[in-house]
Amino acid sequence: MMVRKIKFAMALAALTVALGLRVSVYAQDNMKHENGAKTLATGTFHGKVHQTSGRATIYKEEDGKLVLRLTNFKTSNGPDVHVILIAAGDADDNANFLKSNTERVELGKLKGNEGDQNYEIPAGTDLAKYRTVSVYCERFDANFGAAPLEKF
Amino acid sequence: MTDGASLWLSRKKWLWAGLGVPVLVAAWWAFRPEKLWINEKVNEPAPFASSSDPQPLYTGRLAGKAHATTGRASIYQTPDGKRDLRLTDFATSNGPDLHVLLAQSDDESLARDFVKGELNSVELGRLRANQGDQNYDLPGSVDLSKYDSVVIYCERFHAVFGVAKLERF
Repeated sequence: MMVRKIKFAMALAALTVALGLRVSVYAQDNMKHENGAKTLATGTFHGKVHQTSGRATIYKEEDGKLVLRLTNFKTSNGPDVHVILIAAGDADDNANFLKSNTERVELGKLKGNEGDQNYEIPAGTDLAKYRTVSVYCERFDANFGAAPLEKF
Repeated sequence: MTDGASLWLSRKKWLWAGLGVPVLVAAWWAFRPEKLWINEKVNEPAPFASSSDPQPLYTGRLAGKAHATTGRASIYQTPDGKRDLRLTDFATSNGPDLHVLLAQSDDESLARDFVKGELNSVELGRLRANQGDQNYDLPGSVDLSKYDSVVIYCERFHAVFGVAKLERF
């Protein structure tokens, strides 16, 4: 009787090991060459009415300062275009943040409609709340393009 | 000729001009139509740029197919040209004979959970762990404009666990 029980237990153990599906293996490779700044989140722009493309990435510098960097960036030129963070998961091409009362954080006037550029993010900005970058024409309340950010 | 000049000097014309010019100026200021043709290019360096650090070339989010798979796949390049794949926030289900591959995003096999026949791919190695951050070396010759997707693949059952389409960083 006892032998049978042990055999059963052993078979069960063997089966568990063989299936092994519930067993998780955890790896923790370090970034081979960690530099000072940390990449927090990234996303790509979409915008059809005013062709907008490129990547938006948020970095945390060594001193804790947050920086938004646009790369491979391109949009149409326009009057009074700003870079803002909005409290939304994404934005439509025709979104009007003024009308919809979307909360936003102003990062400054768009420095150029083409090329790589950096914008400082005010200290204390809650990136869990403001998780989309928008290139926004203030004069006509037109969203030129939006980049929803995802964890890097 | 003298007729035209005197007409131009007539009061009415001045009135029209007095009204029209500010309107035109206001319209120009509001719409700045010349910006349709004039581009402003900038090229700021990354604020922390250190040329000795590996730079990300491509990145993409993993999406689960046959098994739930999440996380990010990024390709980095060191200044000496060596490239590697890094998985972060990574989690998939454990399984037998799991491999990390590069495949072509337009490959129809990737649209299905299970691949019939062989998957056209570049082998990066066995999956080291089903959770956590991990690095894989890329063969020097692999063309990333062609092999633009990272696949977590179960060789035994030809199951596509997860796919990440790589986009330029």
